[in-house]
Amino acid sequence: MAHDHHHAHDLSDANLGGSVLAPAARNLIGAGLAAVAVGAWLGYRSGDAAHFARHWLVAMMFGLAICLGATFFVVVQHLTRAGWSVAVRRPAEALMQNLRWAWVLFLPVAWMGWNGSLDTLFPWANLDELAKVAPAEAQLVANKSGYLNQRFFFVRAAIYFVAWAGIAAFFWRASVRQDRTGDPAISAACRKWSGPAMIVFGLSITFASFDWMMSLSPAWFSTMFGVYFFAACATCGISVITLLTLRLQDQFGRLRGIVSPEHFQDLGKMLFAFGIVFWAYIAFSQFMLIWYGNLPEETAWYLPRQVGGWLWLSWALLLGHFAIPFVFLISRWTKRIRATLTFGCAWMLLFGLIDIYYLVMPHIPHDLGEFATYGEFAAKHAGDAPHLLDPSFLAMTLGVLMLVLGGALRALSGQSLLAARDPSLRESLAFENM
Amino acid sequence: MTTLSPTHAHGTTAAAAPRRLACLLAEFENPAQIVAAAEQVRDAGYRHWDCHTPFPVHGLDKAMGIGRTILPVLVFFAGAAGCTTGLVLQLFTNSYGFTIWALVKVTGYPFLISGKPALSIPAFIPVMFELTILFSALSTVGLMLLMNGLPWLSNPLFSSERFRRASDDRFFISIDARDPRFYRSKTEHFLKSLGATAVEAVED
Repeated sequence: MAHDHHHAHDLSDANLGGSVLAPAARNLIGAGLAAVAVGAWLGYRSGDAAHFARHWLVAMMFGLAICLGATFFVVVQHLTRAGWSVAVRRPAEALMQNLRWAWVLFLPVAWMGWNGSLDTLFPWANLDELAKVAPAEAQLVANKSGYLNQRFFFVRAAIYFVAWAGIAAFFWRASVRQDRTGDPAISAACRKWSGPAMIVFGLSITFASFDWMMSLSPAWFSTMFGVYFFAACATCGISVITLLTLRLQDQFGRLRGIVSPEHFQDLGKMLFAFGIVFWAYIAFSQFMLIWYGNLPEETAWYLPRQVGGWLWLSWALLLGHFAIPFVFLISRWTKRIRATLTFGCAWMLLFGLIDIYYLVMPHIPHDLGEFATYGEFAAKHAGDAPHLLDPSFLAMTLGVLMLVLGGALRALSGQSLLAARDPSLRESLAFENM
Repeated sequence: MTTLSPTHAHGTTAAAAPRRLACLLAEFENPAQIVAAAEQVRDAGYRHWDCHTPFPVHGLDKAMGIGRTILPVLVFFAGAAGCTTGLVLQLFTNSYGFTIWALVKVTGYPFLISGKPALSIPAFIPVMFELTILFSALSTVGLMLLMNGLPWLSNPLFSSERFRRASDDRFFISIDARDPRFYRSKTEHFLKSLGATAVEAVED
């Protein structure tokens, strides 16, 4: 049980006021829009529509993963009636509320549907074209057209974005309203609705990942895929919550003495649990079942990811998303010291992005059936490689990241950086790891 | 020990065998008092002593001068040992056989499962993972007991009626009679000076 500390906590506006963030928010949003524009221009100039579209899809999923991961963080705190996290909940809420405008990121995909070029991304969108290059696959995918058709695809997308915006708006407004009224009934309402919200969240991100990433290879399927995307969301979301909170203290001089190494250690624990161990657990579970079953329509997804440069990227993920950060962040002190935690979170955010790149970019080649062995296939595709340093991709991804951060700072700039009248605030401020 | 009647609650007159002083027990009324008192006991240089509270009190470890345990480090190596055991066990049982210094011939049980190589690391990982967890979990509990010198079949403190409130609403410091700095009168006086509401001698 917590008892009060002897030192007082600075709950004045000079320590909690968000107005100091307004210029940084403006700069980030401006720079983000410019970077996206430059990236889009470079992508358009490259003339490779398929790569350009997939690069945008990676950037979009990366931005969504951060905001959805933050949403999971906020909802799970209410769901478990967590006391420790009140001190760091507002930055997470600010990242979450980006979901109110995140549908804008989907507009390029919607535009492709409107002008009839959705098959640039999704082969199922034009079965006639698919039948010309892969008749057997086209027949298989035609059987899924009850789900994989353009009308239903966009209806589902609308449902996801409405659901996410609704969840984000509800928890954001409830939290900032409590800043003014201090009404404990608001916390009760958040707890009451966190259960339904978590169910809606789980189902929506599962089907969104099926729609926007798994259906890139429409003949392939994995029931693990939605959970995989959830792990990506947790990785990116918790990393950015932690980095943002660190910046609020170091760069803007806010939340001093409020967010302590105890809170940072717990954020590090969550990143370790969901972003490192859980990710490895489900990524390996998906791989092992497919490897063991050894069915051609399932292993096809892994083949292009295990040839040429992609094989190196697979190993890089195994080491960089699991082995190295596992050893690095398992210690108590690396999660409590700002420099090591910053490095760990930045590292995990980078590998979270690489993971989404790995999920989205490779194609399953249509000539797969012509090879008798993996060796023959690998020799033919030895030149395949990821191009993470593609300027268009980098500019668009950084742009989306800046928009997400700028959006969060903009939301915070009109508010207190702490849910200062949450009934559990005292518990959070006194929180210590045993 | 037989049940004591209420008049013998302090156990001073009861037994046939001579009774040995086990410790002095000081009672406090709230967490703040016991944290402040623990700091004093620590600074006075006592080593064989403990605090007993109805719930975990934050900052008490620090006040008592208890350092961080090395248990996590030991558990990490236990986990690594479990992982290695899982790997070696499967490498051995799935191997085609080998000889040790040309003297001992070891034969494994190579099964052909859906055309996979006999030594397939992906298939071994679940067992390696489970043994990592098993070794970690068992070593955590086992080493925790070992390092705390547990279990004890009985504790002299249980003979104190007063001590029962340690699981309810009172906070206690016990200083063991074996402590090199323990002198009954001096220590009793010291505990009273810390604001203890009562100091009691507990006999073995």
